[in-house]
Amino acid sequence: MKNIEQIRCLTDAGLKRLVEGLIGDYEVFGTVKKDGFPAWGRLSDAAELELFQTPTHLSAKEFFFPQRETLLRFNRRDSTHEQVVEARKQVVIGLHSCDIHAIALMDRVFDYGTPDVNYKARRDKTIIIGADCFPDEYCFCSSVGTMDANEGFDLFIHRLKKGVLVRVGSKRGEALLERYASALPATPAELLEKEKREKERATSFTTTLNAPPSALPEIYAGSDESPVWDRIGAICYGCGSCNNVCPTCYCFDIKDEVKANLIDGERVRVWDACTLEDFAKVAGGHNFRKTRASRLRHRFNRKFRYLTGRFGGLFCVGCGRCSRTCLVNINIASVTNELIRERYKK
Amino acid sequence: MSLSVKDTKNRPRSPYLPVRAVVKRAVMASATEMLFTVAPEDASLLDYRAGQFFMVGLPGYGEAPISVTSPPGGARGFELCVRAAGNLTGALHRLKKGDEMTLRGPFGTSFPVEDMKGADLLFIAGGIGIVPMRSLIKTVLGRRRSFGKVTLVYGTKAPDEMLFKGEFDGWREKGLDMRLTIDSAHPDWSGHVGLVTTLLPGVDVGPKTIVVIIGPPVMYKFVIIGLRRRDIGAERIFVSLERRMKCGVGKCGHCQINSAYVCQVGPVFRLSDLKGLPEAL
Repeated sequence: MKNIEQIRCLTDAGLKRLVEGLIGDYEVFGTVKKDGFPAWGRLSDAAELELFQTPTHLSAKEFFFPQRETLLRFNRRDSTHEQVVEARKQVVIGLHSCDIHAIALMDRVFDYGTPDVNYKARRDKTIIIGADCFPDEYCFCSSVGTMDANEGFDLFIHRLKKGVLVRVGSKRGEALLERYASALPATPAELLEKEKREKERATSFTTTLNAPPSALPEIYAGSDESPVWDRIGAICYGCGSCNNVCPTCYCFDIKDEVKANLIDGERVRVWDACTLEDFAKVAGGHNFRKTRASRLRHRFNRKFRYLTGRFGGLFCVGCGRCSRTCLVNINIASVTNELIRERYKK
Repeated sequence: MSLSVKDTKNRPRSPYLPVRAVVKRAVMASATEMLFTVAPEDASLLDYRAGQFFMVGLPGYGEAPISVTSPPGGARGFELCVRAAGNLTGALHRLKKGDEMTLRGPFGTSFPVEDMKGADLLFIAGGIGIVPMRSLIKTVLGRRRSFGKVTLVYGTKAPDEMLFKGEFDGWREKGLDMRLTIDSAHPDWSGHVGLVTTLLPGVDVGPKTIVVIIGPPVMYKFVIIGLRRRDIGAERIFVSLERRMKCGVGKCGHCQINSAYVCQVGPVFRLSDLKGLPEAL
C-alpha cells in the first residue's frame, strides 16, 4: 500500500463535504468532544467532528472488538446453536498514528492460529481515516516507534492553518476522495507547512523512554524481581481501567446470556482485564496471580515482552491512555524508565 | 444489522462454534465426579491424543476446559470425567443418557507417547490429576510391551475420592505397578498414608525413567524436588498444567503463563521447557 501514497489538498469546506458524503453512505464514527474530553462518537453531522491534538479517552478498538459482542445464538429447547458474525460498513475518522499501529497489532492477534471471524469481518468493513496529533505530557509514541503511520489507513488528514492535506493510503481511500471531495495536488508551500508542523511535533515530547524499543523486551525480562512491582501493586486499585482504555489489550471473557423465556440465548464475548483479581482464578479457588503486583507485572510484560516474540513488535504504542486514566497515577513510561535505570545500574 | 444465519453459512467457521455431542452414558465416579461417555456429531473430534482437552459446554451455562480421560482410538466417542465445581459443571452433572452437551477441540499438546517407547515410566497423579492421566495409562497399557516398567503413584485426600477404583485390578493385571496413598489416616483405608511425595523414595527410578506429573498446583513443586534429588533430569519430566481458559485458540489471555498460552503450547509441558516461565509452578 505504501507505494500508492499521494498527498492531496482539501479546503476546510472540502473536508466537510467529504465527511458529509461519508455520513450519507456509511455509519461514521469520529472524534467528538464529550464532557470537554476527546471521545469517539457516532457522527450525524460533519460539524460534530473535532480533530484533537491528543488521544481519545477510550481507544478505537471498540469498533473492531466491541466491549460486548454476540458470538453464538442458541435455542435450549431445540438444542440448536449458530454462529453470529455482526459487521457493517463503517468509517472511523480521527485515529492517530499510535491508534493505527495498534490496529495493525490487533490484526495479527486475531489472525493468529485460528482466525477470529468476528474481528476480521468488522475489520474488513471499516474505512480508516487517520489524523495528525500533538503530544501531551503522557504521550511517548516517539520512544516506541509508532510516531508515524505510513500504512494501515485509507486516508490520513494533516491539518494546515487553512484547509488540510490528505495522505492517500489505499485505492479505497483514493476512490473516496474522488467521490466525495474535489482534492487538489498539494502545493510546495503546503508541504512545507506540514513538514514544519511534523518537526515541531517530533521535538515536543516531554515523556520519553530512556532506552531504544529493541532493548525493552530484554530489560523487562530481567525485571521480575524489581521492587517496582510491589510499590505500584500497593497503590493499584485493581480497577482494570488501564486494560479498558488500552488500544492493544484484547483479553476477553465469554459468557452465556439467557432470555427471560429460558429458551433463547446468546454466547457473548466481553472485554476482560488481567489486572482484575479473578482473571487467572480456576475452579476450586486457586489464583495463579494472587497479588496486584503480580497482575500489574503481567500487564506491563504483555506490553513490552511477552507478545513481542509471537507478533513481532512491542504491544505498547505509547498513547499514554493507561497513565492518563490511572486513578493512582501509575505511569507506564515512568515505570519503564525505572526498570531501565535498574537495568543499567547493575 | 446482524447478518442472518443464511449469510453466515458460507462464511469461514467461527472458532467459537461448538459441535453437539450426545451423552451415551453418565455415571457417578465418586461423590463429586461424573464420568460421561460422549459421542460428538462430528467424528473428526475423535482424533485426539492423550493429554489434550476439549472446551465442554452447555448453552446457557458456558464452557470450561475438560481433559479427555479415555485413550484415543474410540470408534464413536470418548470419556470425560467432570467434577461439580461451579454452574456449568453442576449443570453437566444433571445430564442423563441421551442429553446433549457441546464440544470444541481437541486443543493443546499431548503426552509424547512415541518418545516413551522403551523407557521406564513413572506416573504421579494427585486428586483429579488421575483424569487426564487415565488416558495416558490406558494408552500405554494397550501397548504394554512397548514400554519398560510402568508405575503409578496416585494419592487423594480421602479413600472415597479415589477415582476409577473398579479398574485398578485390570490395570495391575496388564502390568501397572500401583502405589496408592491418602493424605491422612481414615477408617476405610489400610494402605499407605501420607502425601504422594512420601511414596517416591520407595519407587525404583533410573536414568531411563520418564516421569509424568499431574495434580493440584501445590503438588508439582514438592514432587519435582523429590525427583530432582533422585537425579531425574528436567528433560525427562512432563507435567500437565491447569489454567483458566475461555477460548482455547490462543486469544482470550486467561491461560497465559508469562509469555506462554497454555492452550497453544500446553497443557502438557516438558519441565525443561518451563525454565523461562516462573509463573508455571
